[in-house]
Amino acid sequence: MNIDALHPSPDDSELHAYVDGRLPPARRAQVEAWLTAHPAHAVQVEGWKQDAERLRTLHAHPEHWSSNAALEPAQVRRRLGARRRARLGIAAAMLLAFGVGGGVGWQARDMRPGQAALPMADAVAAYRQYVDADAPPMEFDASRADDLQRWLHRHFGEAGRVPDLRAAGYRLMGGRLLSTEQGAAAMLVYQDGSGARVGFYLRPRGQLRGQGQRRDGDLLARYWSVRDTSFALVSNAADAAASGLPRLLDNG
Amino acid sequence: MPASPPLDDDTLRVLIPRLRRFARSLATDPAAADDLVQATLERALTRGDTRRDEAALQPWLFSVLYRQFVDDHRRAARWKRIASLFATEDAHRPPMPDQVFDARTSLSAFTRLPADQRALLMLVSVEGLGYREAAEVLGIPIGTVMSRLSRARQALRAMDDENDPAAPVLRALR
Repeated sequence: MNIDALHPSPDDSELHAYVDGRLPPARRAQVEAWLTAHPAHAVQVEGWKQDAERLRTLHAHPEHWSSNAALEPAQVRRRLGARRRARLGIAAAMLLAFGVGGGVGWQARDMRPGQAALPMADAVAAYRQYVDADAPPMEFDASRADDLQRWLHRHFGEAGRVPDLRAAGYRLMGGRLLSTEQGAAAMLVYQDGSGARVGFYLRPRGQLRGQGQRRDGDLLARYWSVRDTSFALVSNAADAAASGLPRLLDNG
Repeated sequence: MPASPPLDDDTLRVLIPRLRRFARSLATDPAAADDLVQATLERALTRGDTRRDEAALQPWLFSVLYRQFVDDHRRAARWKRIASLFATEDAHRPPMPDQVFDARTSLSAFTRLPADQRALLMLVSVEGLGYREAAEVLGIPIGTVMSRLSRARQALRAMDDENDPAAPVLRALR
């Protein structure tokens, strides 16, 4: 009896469906019978089956591959979050740059990653760079104290005033404008009769919480914040006279 | 917010080995493959909230991964075209003898298939996807799935035959 006469020959697609076990049981039996009657096709189909089997074997157990921590979902989420915050940070910076930052900018800025690890580290760095006696001349020297005051007021509002430290024996040498991650900043330099210098630093408030002081090498930084502005008084750690200054700087 | 629950880490974590496996069948090296998986997971976690049941999740992730691969590939091809405008002649030199040797021995017949055929064989033979699912993942009509499957299997057979049939044909993918 000729099997071709009973059932239509399988086409190419059906042969593949046969290999992949995707034929309905009845048709599967028919194709099986047809292959028995057509050895050349049977060899071909058997080859396909073997190839598929080999592929499966070679790709078995991907769960045993050495893991990649970067693919851990929690890690991916963290990265996405960091990227989102970085974008927000950029957006905030742009808002600030165009002077319309307002509340949104300040909030976003606090979420930026990579803030300085130590409180007011920028103040200490600025001191080292600009307060030393051999530092380059400042753009606002004592004769331009009024300009400096205007500039501070424009950037920091009420908080932006040039403190008068004469009661403690310090007089203003000048001021220097800086740019920080948080925005425009200023370092005011004072000097007493003995030539000892202190730096008064102010900038927009970043992540700084509360107040405190810390030693940084030979320097002592005392820092505090009032509303949206952070302040630091940086002096030589050995300068006992400077320790009384914060009282004079009370910005409350 | 809509009711569909957000994609949880455990659900996703279970699928990662299979994503890596699929990616390695496409990419040139394991690191590039994991980059693909990473990009896929990022997409899943930023857009995955709209996904519904777990059964649909896997094919969807495969399709995201495949699209990412194709996009990267196109970008690379475009870049290559641009670079070739500046390239000197030796950029077109024939393959070095050891590269030819490599292709005949350590490189498997499977890895010599075009990427679209590799992807289909992986989905159908290894991942056990149905033809319709595979069509959706690859973004092609079902008729194309069948003809591509036929071409891929024949090509694989032909390459096997031209190799020493006793030798292991496929490189173990690790």
